[in-house]
Amino acid sequence: MKRIAVTGGKGGTGKSTIATALAVELGKRHRVLLADADADCPNDHLILGIERKEIAVVKQRVVKINDSKCTGCGKCASVCAYNAIAMVSGKPLVLEKMCSGCGACALACPENAVEWKEKEVGRIFEGKGKGISLLSGELKIGEPVSELVVKKLNELIKEKEKEFDYVIVDTAAGTHCDVISALEGSGFAIAVAEPTPLGAHDLGLILELLHVLEVKGSVFLNRSGIGKDELVEKICSDKKTKIIARMPYSKKIMESYSAGKPVEHESIEKTAGLVE
Amino acid sequence: MKKVCVLSGKGGVGKSSIAASLAVLLSERKKIVCADCDVDASNLSLALGVDENRTEKRKIATGKKAFIDKKKCVSCGTCKKTCYFGAINEKGSEFSVSQLKCEGCGACALACPQGAIEMRECENAELSVGKTRQGFIVVSAQLKMGESGSGKVVAEVKRETEKHAGESELMVIDSAAGIGCPVIASVTGSDFVVAVTEPSPSALSDLERVLGVVEHFGIPFGIVINKHDLNPAFTQKIEEFAGEKNAKVLAKIPYDRSFVDALVELKPVIEFKPETRVFFEEIAEKAGL
Repeated sequence: MKRIAVTGGKGGTGKSTIATALAVELGKRHRVLLADADADCPNDHLILGIERKEIAVVKQRVVKINDSKCTGCGKCASVCAYNAIAMVSGKPLVLEKMCSGCGACALACPENAVEWKEKEVGRIFEGKGKGISLLSGELKIGEPVSELVVKKLNELIKEKEKEFDYVIVDTAAGTHCDVISALEGSGFAIAVAEPTPLGAHDLGLILELLHVLEVKGSVFLNRSGIGKDELVEKICSDKKTKIIARMPYSKKIMESYSAGKPVEHESIEKTAGLVE
Repeated sequence: MKKVCVLSGKGGVGKSSIAASLAVLLSERKKIVCADCDVDASNLSLALGVDENRTEKRKIATGKKAFIDKKKCVSCGTCKKTCYFGAINEKGSEFSVSQLKCEGCGACALACPQGAIEMRECENAELSVGKTRQGFIVVSAQLKMGESGSGKVVAEVKRETEKHAGESELMVIDSAAGIGCPVIASVTGSDFVVAVTEPSPSALSDLERVLGVVEHFGIPFGIVINKHDLNPAFTQKIEEFAGEKNAKVLAKIPYDRSFVDALVELKPVIEFKPETRVFFEEIAEKAGL
């Protein structure tokens, strides 16, 4: 099994477009699992028109104070790095959305009054269609930690990876913890970039992150010709990273995307060939 | 001071372009400040064409990380058992902290029977304060690569923006993409949300999710449909969705390559192509800004 991440730094550069198209192309010849790790805004099932069914609930432990044991000393609130415990009229009040489950309060409590309960933070779905299998993570609305969903997704990928030749991981935008978790374990990453100053700026950031994580990176230049390709070319030469394919900008591709259809283009075939 | 937050759920729908031009328009009418809360990929300053060389920068620390004093450590492994984030590595009898995974919660330091773990402040972001050609301040930050805690950095950006606000009547906030912690931190305390979307199944799905967060905080919002003519049928769906939510459609902007050309020139589109001004006037008017 080979795990390849599709990422990009900036939002809307075409990560999901390229990830879905690449998965479908590889799926013509191989067993392919596409993992949608953009838990904030998972869209791969929409682009591919795949019906998903729920297979797992992602849970996290959160603190519950046992009132009969609590003396109101406030030590729990003072050690909490997340400001998830507030002292209200001499009693600790737990703000569950802020609690990370780290357990510092339980260690600090002299009365053993800190107990645990579980809260749901997201769900994992699976589906099949267009010749591939799909796993998709979804953060519960109002929950802050997308990374927990991606970690669960990683566990499920590990369980299933023997059944597949390729696992394509579609990451979220940005460079923080949920993206890092999605990139972990990938031997190779394709950073999708657009040729604008913003696109080039954010590409520089994601290439830096790949360097920190020691993941081999390459660049897919999307919407080639819409701005200045040189902007992306310069970042790539500075960071010694190859541009593996270019997809030109066309209103037709935009409309096909807007209609929710997987994109077909020779640049996708070329990328699939390189991956193989 | 009123706060308006521009967000989108999905990236790349034109959020920063619209935030930049809206800010330029509003700055002609009142005193404003801007906070770029996309600390993963901060772009608002670029979209506003702020001069990098005239920007003040400083490193900030919004969190701590654990450090093990090898002289005091007796390799009992309590820290590893305690850490909920799997951030303690064990190699032979040597324990060390993965700086990428450490959340800075301090549980290991509390658990260590030898007192061998110290929590130290670590610089995790660079804060920038710049001035636009129009004369208003833009505060932004860039999270250090591989660092967690973007929510706290966003809160710091907003605090710094408040400091520079002076007599400003309005703060324009450009949120990160997604619906997680940096977005929650961006939207908290806002008086109004401008939600930008485009007519595609993905963008509508993401809009619904991010507005779920906005409704959670009880903040009123309006919707901007960018590139509306790319898929008129879907634009109608978004308008119906807005109707169900009792939200105003603040503007419908047709697809226009000038938005990208403006970015390439590092100019807000409202300056690059003055004909686009009407859309931002419409947003400002309908949003009561």
